[in-house]
Amino acid sequence: MYQQIESALRQSIQRVLVVLVRFLPGILALLLAVVLFTAVGFLFAALVRRLLTAVRFDERLASNEKTGSPTNFSDWAPSHSPTLLVSRVVFWICALAGIAVGISAFDASYFADSQLSQFVLPYLTHILGAVLLLFFGSLVARFLSRSVLIGAVNAQLQYARFLSLGIKWLVLVLTATMALDHLGIGGVIVELAFGILFGGIVLTLSLAVGLGSRDLVSRSIEKNIEKPMSRPAEPSPSSESSEVPRPKLRHF
Amino acid sequence: MSTLPITEAENASAQQPLTTRSDAPLLICLPSLTADGLQTMRDRIAAALPGQSLLIATPDAVEEKDSSDNITMLNLATATASDAGWALTASDYAAASHLAAEHHAAAILILGAEALSLSDFGLLGLADAVLAGKTDLALPRYKTGPHDALLSSALLYPLTNALFGTKAHLPLPLDVAFSPRMANRFTMAHKPDAGTQGSPLVWPVAEAATVAFVVREIEAGERTLPQPTETNLNALLAEIVGSLFNDIEAKASFWQRARQAMPVKPNIEPVRTITETEHLEDIRAMAESFHNAYTNLQEIWSLVLPPQSLLGLKKVSRAPAEEFEMPVDLWARTVYDFVLAYHFRTINRGHLLGAFTPLYLAWIASHLRKSAGDAALAAFHVEETAAAFVAEKPYIVARWRWPDRFNP
Repeated sequence: MYQQIESALRQSIQRVLVVLVRFLPGILALLLAVVLFTAVGFLFAALVRRLLTAVRFDERLASNEKTGSPTNFSDWAPSHSPTLLVSRVVFWICALAGIAVGISAFDASYFADSQLSQFVLPYLTHILGAVLLLFFGSLVARFLSRSVLIGAVNAQLQYARFLSLGIKWLVLVLTATMALDHLGIGGVIVELAFGILFGGIVLTLSLAVGLGSRDLVSRSIEKNIEKPMSRPAEPSPSSESSEVPRPKLRHF
Repeated sequence: MSTLPITEAENASAQQPLTTRSDAPLLICLPSLTADGLQTMRDRIAAALPGQSLLIATPDAVEEKDSSDNITMLNLATATASDAGWALTASDYAAASHLAAEHHAAAILILGAEALSLSDFGLLGLADAVLAGKTDLALPRYKTGPHDALLSSALLYPLTNALFGTKAHLPLPLDVAFSPRMANRFTMAHKPDAGTQGSPLVWPVAEAATVAFVVREIEAGERTLPQPTETNLNALLAEIVGSLFNDIEAKASFWQRARQAMPVKPNIEPVRTITETEHLEDIRAMAESFHNAYTNLQEIWSLVLPPQSLLGLKKVSRAPAEEFEMPVDLWARTVYDFVLAYHFRTINRGHLLGAFTPLYLAWIASHLRKSAGDAALAAFHVEETAAAFVAEKPYIVARWRWPDRFNP
């Protein structure tokens, strides 16, 4: 009895050790690949940073950008330095390549019949894609909501905040749905929920804007009809459309 | 390059006798004019500057017969003619500087759109200032009412005076006279770049101040001030204010050094603002508009402004139209905070400049209430504002150097 127990324990320890022996090289290969590629990425990033700094990439880009344009590269870059952004992208590409190579090496050294990398790698890229979608979606949502808020306030709309919030949630809902769809979670339910939510927000906004600015729209139409008949001289920037008559302000 | 000390920007009287003029020709660049307008302008220039050798450049077609003993007519390359119309741009300065170098002009005078409305004494004053050889940059000071040149009064003049130590009420001039070495400076500072869109605005006062050139402000009387064709105030403000903030950023090393700003002393006593003015209804609408802006933009302003300024703005937004006032020190600090946020890119620059518009309009409402339609009171308020910018200058200097000490 005792011998049988001892034998069973020995066999199980042996099996675990065999597994560990097979497992450790894979782990080591994974770590080595990640460390190596990260180091290479670090080197490449430093090289790219030096190169771009030498050719005054930031200054050249800034001179071609127009203030306030949403397509300004500098406004989206970390610390507002496009050089830094490019070098970081290079670094992360290398680091991610290292992770992919590492997982593949780990899979190769683990079990011969394992399909780990075939399952994990594509899903990892999907997760990465979803994270990127969420990240850029939230950036775009914030950018658009601020743009709408400032534009609406400067146009003297009373419901500026509401409009801005509506736009923000529209983009966020769209982004979340895209991310879930990308991950293959939820299936038809997500699509259906998105349709209902998106449609609901658009309808609410349309009703709010339509009802809230009924007077504004009718005045705008009236103005457009009257304009061709008695078109005054070129309007100055000061005399912007407003219901309250203002003194003739000359800003320049 | 000479480093003459910056003298106080005097308001030279045009009636002052001309001391010594250079024999080299004076180059005068005109805007596009009708045939009659060009002839009138030519006659006026000849009458104002008798005996002076003149080169008159115009983008309109000129013929040989148009030239006379003292006056030579030149063609100004149309490709470089001003595309802004209401202000001079880098292409205007570049075209004039190029022509001046080609013809060895002693001085350059650029006249902007609606040049026919410039007074004779203004024309003579500008030309004399640079021809005498003691001034590198002469800027006109037009007679303006309380509703005119508001952006210059609120922002451009106070900022330029406080940071660059040069008193110029219109830092973005429509007419300007400058010396050949100033022309060289413009050429060096604004090299044409094929990549940039349009012709950028030039801030001549800042350019002159950084190399310690002599700047003078010349009384030029009344003049028609052309307005931009762009009707969107937000876009215009973003373009002009953004350009000025960029220039301030580029010349930070200059204004960061201790530099005495021009003393700003309003010479009249403030008169108690009347409670009912002809514009009270308009001010009421502007005050309500600012209240709406404060309610909605508080979140964005809080990223840029310190709590103290936000509290100040809250008080302003709650004030009734009869008492609506943007305190000048609060305005100065607010502008400095926006300059800092622009420099540090605290938020997207387009958003930042968009969020600035309601604050600027609040200053205008305050200005209208305080001036009550009176030019003298308006001038007093402008000088009061400029003085506040000078007083608050240490704030921007400190925060520019040590931004981490304070985060809103």
